[in-house]
Amino acid sequence: MSWAAHQFEVYAVQAHLPKKMRGKISFWAIFLGDFTPDFLSKFWVYGITINGRHYGSDVPHKWHRGWPGMGITHTLFMGILLTAAFWLWKRNRAFAIGYLLGYAAHALTDVNDSVGTILLFPFTTLNWTVQTWAYAATIEGGKYLDAAAYYSSLGLVMDVFWLVVVLISWRCLTRDYWRTQVVVADPKVWAWFGKWLPERGLLALYRATFFYGLCRMISWSTWAHVVAEPVINGVKRRGYPFDLSWTGPWWIGARSLPHVNPWIVLPVTLALLGAVYFAVAKLWEPMGRAEEHKRVPRPTQPGAG
Amino acid sequence: MVTSGAVSSPEVPAESAGGPSDLDFRGSRRLAGPEEWFWYVVAAVSYILLGIWHKFLLNWFVGPVWLVAVVVIGPAVWDRIRGLRRRRGDRA
Repeated sequence: MSWAAHQFEVYAVQAHLPKKMRGKISFWAIFLGDFTPDFLSKFWVYGITINGRHYGSDVPHKWHRGWPGMGITHTLFMGILLTAAFWLWKRNRAFAIGYLLGYAAHALTDVNDSVGTILLFPFTTLNWTVQTWAYAATIEGGKYLDAAAYYSSLGLVMDVFWLVVVLISWRCLTRDYWRTQVVVADPKVWAWFGKWLPERGLLALYRATFFYGLCRMISWSTWAHVVAEPVINGVKRRGYPFDLSWTGPWWIGARSLPHVNPWIVLPVTLALLGAVYFAVAKLWEPMGRAEEHKRVPRPTQPGAG
Repeated sequence: MVTSGAVSSPEVPAESAGGPSDLDFRGSRRLAGPEEWFWYVVAAVSYILLGIWHKFLLNWFVGPVWLVAVVVIGPAVWDRIRGLRRRRGDRA
């Protein structure tokens, strides 16, 4: 799984919207779309322990990404389904498109760990994985071991990559950008928050996901490499060792599920990302017309009533 | 005021050519430049340090609330302390 990458990619999507959509896509929809897959599936991955009894999935990686399991939450199919449901309900283009882009970003990013996602569900239930780093969520290790493994492997590089993408597009974090591109696309939501928060609070709220991603990345990395004292192969160490090799780190068994050949995954993922952007670009105007059609009240029939 | 249909967004007053005005739509002070950086760094350093030893703080709810709280409450408290000091100084 990815950690802070999911926070950073929200801003990466926001900053790289197609030109005609700039200032017209809901930031909160991108956030919610990116948030939904883990929100629906992750609570049971680590589970909770009460009075020594563990409540959670028996096989975390299968629950999180497999089929049968909640792996469906990490598919474009589910993203499209939820987007379509929302569109049919509200006819809100700014939200629907933003939600789909956020959802797609999450599902596509997660092909990088050793479990991957059932990307082409329902056409195949095989997982699609590049196996860049080890998926390490286990019942015994919980969140701590998962974090230690992620931030000792190429997972850390993934987080840093998305951080750099956002920093290159740093303007998306400025107050001017927020005023001219974000607030105008989501006036209702910002107005609602504006009842309680001053402008500096609203701006902080916009930047908060980036802040959280950056802080958790530093905090977990520091803990894993400076504070923790793990025993690995019977040897007590100060900090978990780094291993930036493929499917690392070596000190944890990478979880896996039946999957397609990893070599085809990256090109297919990039093609799907392109297809999503192409589809939303094509749907943009028709959805706008449909939204307008719904907003404009229909004239009553002459003589009616 | 930015509007969409019948709904109003938080009022975002036009900025003068000289730069942003000091007060926002609620009459609260805007942050800019080094002061803005200061409060964000305070929020980040405190959250990171506490997060290293108290992992339950590192979640998607506490993180954003932490930042917003520091950026909203911090300057307000600071302004109040400065105001009190000034009043005491005036009386003296």
